[in-house]
Amino acid sequence: MVKFDWVSKIYKGDFSALKEVNLEIKDGEFVSIVGQSGAGKSTLLKLIYAEEMPTEGTVYFEGSPTSSINRKKLPLYRRNIGTIFQDFKLLPRKTAYENVAFALEVASVSEEEIAEDVPQILEIVGLGDKMEKYPYQLSMGEQQRVSFARALIHKPKIIIADEPTGNLDPVSSWEIVNLMLRINELGTTVILASHDKYVVDKANKRVIVIENGKIIGDYEQGKYKLI
Amino acid sequence: MFLTIARTFKEATNNFLRYAWLSIATSSILMLSLYVIGALILISFATNTVLQSIQQKANISIYFKPDVTAETIAEIKNKLEVNEKISSIEYVSKEQALEDFKRNNASEQVIMDSLNEIGSNPLLSSLVIRAKDINQYQNIYDDINQAEFSEETSRINYGKNRDIINKLNTLVNSVKRIGIVLVVLLISISFLIIFNAMRLSIYSRRQEVEIMRLVGASNAYIRLPYIFIALLYVIIAVFVSMLLLLITVKSVAPYVFAVAPSANVVGFYFQNFWKMLGLQFFIGMIIGITSTWIAMKKYLRV
Repeated sequence: MVKFDWVSKIYKGDFSALKEVNLEIKDGEFVSIVGQSGAGKSTLLKLIYAEEMPTEGTVYFEGSPTSSINRKKLPLYRRNIGTIFQDFKLLPRKTAYENVAFALEVASVSEEEIAEDVPQILEIVGLGDKMEKYPYQLSMGEQQRVSFARALIHKPKIIIADEPTGNLDPVSSWEIVNLMLRINELGTTVILASHDKYVVDKANKRVIVIENGKIIGDYEQGKYKLI
Repeated sequence: MFLTIARTFKEATNNFLRYAWLSIATSSILMLSLYVIGALILISFATNTVLQSIQQKANISIYFKPDVTAETIAEIKNKLEVNEKISSIEYVSKEQALEDFKRNNASEQVIMDSLNEIGSNPLLSSLVIRAKDINQYQNIYDDINQAEFSEETSRINYGKNRDIINKLNTLVNSVKRIGIVLVVLLISISFLIIFNAMRLSIYSRRQEVEIMRLVGASNAYIRLPYIFIALLYVIIAVFVSMLLLLITVKSVAPYVFAVAPSANVVGFYFQNFWKMLGLQFFIGMIIGITSTWIAMKKYLRV
């Protein structure tokens, strides 16, 4: 599904974020990427959702290189990928329902479909009774679940979560991990970047360890560890 | 596509209203530019009409010595008519000149009395020459002066209106020049202000735009709201500017009428309403869309 072929990423000012990374993530896999802040986790994820392009090497998504995506096609490409972030990235002026609906509105989905799909997905993440609440009326964990609902609304092939539990308490974190595991069970590939030992251990799936832009460990069923 | 347009338009109006003061300020400066352009058009119409009416009165009169016969004058007239700078030549006989003089001075008792005293007709026969172009009078005057019939002429009268025409011409030209400088200045200011409003708007919506990109909003969806905001600025500016022009025209009409009864500025406004509206809209769109486009290119990542 996702393949990194000798990928390096050098940012302006000669900052080398990734060095010669080779990696393959299969369809339906759950992968945790661990490493300290600045190790290159976010860069790795950005290369997948084509926010950044590799300086060297090629990133493949479903067999085709991300560098071959036409700028006009980029939005369509992004609809294959659901993204979740530490800071949720919800619109404060919109309710939970509207935040999720927004992802469909911008993709020219009809009002009828929106009215049908949004409550369903909010029900799945356990917010069926809080659809009309604004982000500030929701707990951190609930806000993150709204952003999950939004990420799932396009029925993406892959979910990319960059430190999704970074701002959450242990109970909420546990809920989010459960949610990701459930989504994965339904067939969606999940890539989770985290430095939260608890979350990674709880997932108990493939772990890739990254340090200074290099992959230094890849364990089929692993625990959080920094060598 | 229809959904995208409807949704982005709604987004644009929301944004427009959310930053109402910014929107009003931006529209106002654009409105001012368009208003000055409109006013310039009206001013040049009014002054042209006034100039024309004055020009119609301008002429060169050749007065002939008393002993020159009507036949000789007719011959000279024929010769002059070949000159292509001249549009018309009118023969005024002594008798007619006297009648005109009496009519014009009927109320002046002193003049009438002195005329009676003289007994005979003191006035001269003349040819009244009108030029095709106001600027040709000097040339015609020179031509006549060099002509062979100078023996017969008593004097050549030119210059009655020359000063006023020259003054008016200078005035009109300087009004136009100042107007054009003002228009260029205002257009540049409008351009910068719209650019800045768009930059602010892009900045204030950066979070939304970031999310839009993440959830796969099409580029059109991200850009269209700004285009619509620019469109709203222009529509409001054109509307208010046309309204202000109407008020201006109505309030200056009596003064213009006093100077030149033929210059009907209100009529001109209504006759050219759609042309002026179209022109203002066109200029407004060019300013609005280009500044917005540059702001988007510079600050809006899609």
